Amino acid sequence: MYGVYDYDFKFENQEITVGVEKRGGFLRYFRSLKNGSDNVEKILASDTGKIIVNPVEPLNLPKEITNYLEIEFEPIVIEPNSYRKVYLKFPIEIGVFAATKKSIDILDIFSLNNQKYSLYGPPDSGVICRWYKSDVFAGIPKTEILKEGVIELNIQNTSHEWVEMRRIVFESYGMKIYYNDIVSMVAVVKIINRMVAETNFINKPIKDGMKKALELYTARRIPVVERKGFLMEWGLK
Amino acid sequence: MGVEVMADVLNTVIYNTITVWDVLVVIVVVILAIIIAKIVTLNLKKILSDKVKKDVLEIIIKIVNYGIILIAFLAVLPQLNIDLSGLLVAGGIAGLVIGFASQSVVANLVSGLFLMIERPIRIGDQISIEGVSGFVEDIHIFSTIIRTYDGIYIRIPNEKVFTSNITNYVANVARRFEYLIGIRYADDADKAIEIIKKVIDAHPFALKNPSPTIFVDELGDSSVNIRVRIWAPSTVWYDVKMELLWKIKVELERNGIEIPFPQRVIWFGDKGGVKVESGKDIPA
Repeated sequence: MYGVYDYDFKFENQEITVGVEKRGGFLRYFRSLKNGSDNVEKILASDTGKIIVNPVEPLNLPKEITNYLEIEFEPIVIEPNSYRKVYLKFPIEIGVFAATKKSIDILDIFSLNNQKYSLYGPPDSGVICRWYKSDVFAGIPKTEILKEGVIELNIQNTSHEWVEMRRIVFESYGMKIYYNDIVSMVAVVKIINRMVAETNFINKPIKDGMKKALELYTARRIPVVERKGFLMEWGLK
Repeated sequence: MGVEVMADVLNTVIYNTITVWDVLVVIVVVILAIIIAKIVTLNLKKILSDKVKKDVLEIIIKIVNYGIILIAFLAVLPQLNIDLSGLLVAGGIAGLVIGFASQSVVANLVSGLFLMIERPIRIGDQISIEGVSGFVEDIHIFSTIIRTYDGIYIRIPNEKVFTSNITNYVANVARRFEYLIGIRYADDADKAIEIIKKVIDAHPFALKNPSPTIFVDELGDSSVNIRVRIWAPSTVWYDVKMELLWKIKVELERNGIEIPFPQRVIWFGDKGGVKVESGKDIPA
């Protein structure tokens, strides 16, 4: 489903129908989820554009209220001054973009997942996060490509103590999503002490030959100040 | 001839040694300053609107705007032969008089400045001050503008805002709300709690953490009362509150658990040998 298409694009499976068709003298973009909860139809006043479909940062549905993604997983106890690579799953939202040579804009965002949000930290100074529960994997797990992606998580325990970790929080601005037969991101978490860690994304695919997904804040032309990542200061458990 | 007349007019003394020319220069400089301030603030708005929060941007723009005009005004004052140092001395007494006369204006101004520094409220926040609830539309130097939930414009002097109890509903990122749900004594409270929990879990914005609390709070006159406490993001909490209650009611009834009407068991005296319970007829 992911890729660049002309205006004859159509995709259909058991859960979703999405595409562009000519009807009533207009090009129309349409999308319907089979559970009937959410249908979209828009007239496309365009002749020469393309449709781009790719996974986007999973922080837009049902309404954009946060820039943070929290993944909870079974506890990992990490030995002092060590490095470990694990894999987690993350939820996917699918972005449909209308593109011409000079301009790209978002047409639709939808998801085949249910969304859940959570608070990381105290109510006065914490952050609202999109919440997701994942298992922990030693290798790249199998995923449903329209629902889940894989994060390669590189854990560096730079402290001199054993640290237990059961959640990780990322900020969306640095998310670099790649796709082909799987959807992936690569991230680093640097554990500073039992309570504090810093998370970052690395702009590289999980394996060779993957294509970089168009980021939402690029499509929305939101200028972003380059950040050093997110500091998890309210605990790792 | 015309030039001479013009020169005469411009050199006409209005007051002391101040000529029409001097006044014109001051007016032109101030107008130019206003135009420059407008251009600078417009460009600032364009450049910073994506990078700086709206409320901070408003404050920056106001400071730059008034700053440019004030600097231009102070720079052009010597044209009117006004010596600022002399003005300060003379202004001491005048200041006292004006100070007393414009006490409330100054109080509002100072309160406005403190509001901008302390920032208990920001533009766009949902607040309640002295019984006025709504969105903060703007924070001016002298007053704060509120748009009530009914869309009505209300101006509150900053002194009142600063000295009143302010409830800011969105200052914290998350907040809690609660329901009290009564079920029949005949219903299974554990099952009801389980159903309510499922409905809450299915709602995206009913927060996972802090987790919702659901418990039997009291054995009421007509019902077993279940207290439901839910955390939600402050920006959407009212939507969540409105959506969830009806979903809980529908789901409870779908599972055979009903919310009872108020009821009372009435006992007649033993003499008549009659006992009547509400909804039942028991013959003597």
